[in-house]
Amino acid sequence: MSGELTKAIADLEENEALRLIREKLDGGENPQSLLEESRKGMEIVGQRFSEGTYFLPELIFSAEILKEITEIVKPRLTQEVQAERLGKCVIGTVAGDIHDIGKDIVVFMLDVNGFEVHDLGVDVPPQKFVEKITETSAPIVGLSGFLTLAFDSMKETVDAIKAAGLRDKVKIMIGGGQIDEDIRKYAGADAFGQDAMAAVSLAKGWL
Amino acid sequence: MPGGCIGEEKDVTVVRDIHLNLDKRQILRREGIRQQSSVRPEIMALIDELLVNIDDEHLLEPAWAYEISPISRLDQDQLSLAEDVVLHGPVLTSALSDAEELAVVVGTIGPRLEKQVTDYLGGREPLRGLLLDGIGSAAVDSLAQEACKLIQDEASLRGYQASSPFGPGTTGFPITEQWQLFKLVPAAEIGVRLAASGLMVPRKSVSMVIGLGEQVTARERGEACARCNLSKTCLYRWEANNQHIQA
Repeated sequence: MSGELTKAIADLEENEALRLIREKLDGGENPQSLLEESRKGMEIVGQRFSEGTYFLPELIFSAEILKEITEIVKPRLTQEVQAERLGKCVIGTVAGDIHDIGKDIVVFMLDVNGFEVHDLGVDVPPQKFVEKITETSAPIVGLSGFLTLAFDSMKETVDAIKAAGLRDKVKIMIGGGQIDEDIRKYAGADAFGQDAMAAVSLAKGWL
Repeated sequence: MPGGCIGEEKDVTVVRDIHLNLDKRQILRREGIRQQSSVRPEIMALIDELLVNIDDEHLLEPAWAYEISPISRLDQDQLSLAEDVVLHGPVLTSALSDAEELAVVVGTIGPRLEKQVTDYLGGREPLRGLLLDGIGSAAVDSLAQEACKLIQDEASLRGYQASSPFGPGTTGFPITEQWQLFKLVPAAEIGVRLAASGLMVPRKSVSMVIGLGEQVTARERGEACARCNLSKTCLYRWEANNQHIQA
């Protein structure tokens, strides 16, 4: 039945989703279409998260299910499709801040949603962002920071990207505990996200 | 004394082997879940499994160090202690105007739990990493609560009341003041140091000051959260009357 895989993922029925994907692959269904159907399930999870029906653990749980599905489907895809990624992102926690869990979750969500993510870790100096953007030509940059002092580091990082002549080649998002529109303006970023799902939406919107 | 062993070192006290209360509701609050009934059984089962692992692997090593110092002077924007330590922060001078002494506490659950979180995240198990991180935060909350109880009990023996705790990095108390607190408390003895930014390492640590005096009053946690500038957006806030999660 069409949509049952989408529903199983949206309802976080892990075993059912994995059973369905194996059954459908064995039945000769197109693996890429099955991945699309799975991603629709993730979109519903994202909506439920935004509405407050699901919380962060459920969002991560659904992403883990999608990851398992991708690993099952991957060998059945052509090499071209296997290597296909939506786009590149460079992401890190800015200098002076060592919080990593929020950033790690954004990295995982972007990866599961098809992005090639270059994770620079925590306490990353502005120049490291510049070097990685230059090396990868990534058009999307994510700056994470939880502390108020991270706001200055975010601004310094954006300024360094500007000074390197890369500002018009990248879209920059910022995120972390207390980020809002005022901080976005102060840092000179293009957008801010309140959670991992927002980061994925922003990145997709910039493709 | 909350089940701990005390070692007097100079004029500060180090407490170890503290019993932490890992209440499920507090853990869910720290997971950002505000409605217990909606939590999926798989997630609750994983939290239970992680709690067993925490015991089996001895991931929690709670300890704290504290010192109580007389307040020598309270000006408009600074609070001076006897040891030539001066703390800045508008919240201190407004909330502790009746305090005669200041208890300074640094506590930690140690580095093992956050190392395991990092391993889970690096090993592509983010859900386990996220949930264990939340449990670690709940453990730090419990540690802070136990420390507050100890300070309060000790103060009441001398006829003093204890204020609410105030931590550097919260509204009205700059994180840069950590350096002053660490002059008073030998945090290295419990394995806590400061990064250049003033953040504590291990991250699952807590520092706070508590005012003591005959006329000092404490706020309910919900009230304290309501006064914070993150009160509308903070995932972990306590509501009024401490109702922070729906059953």
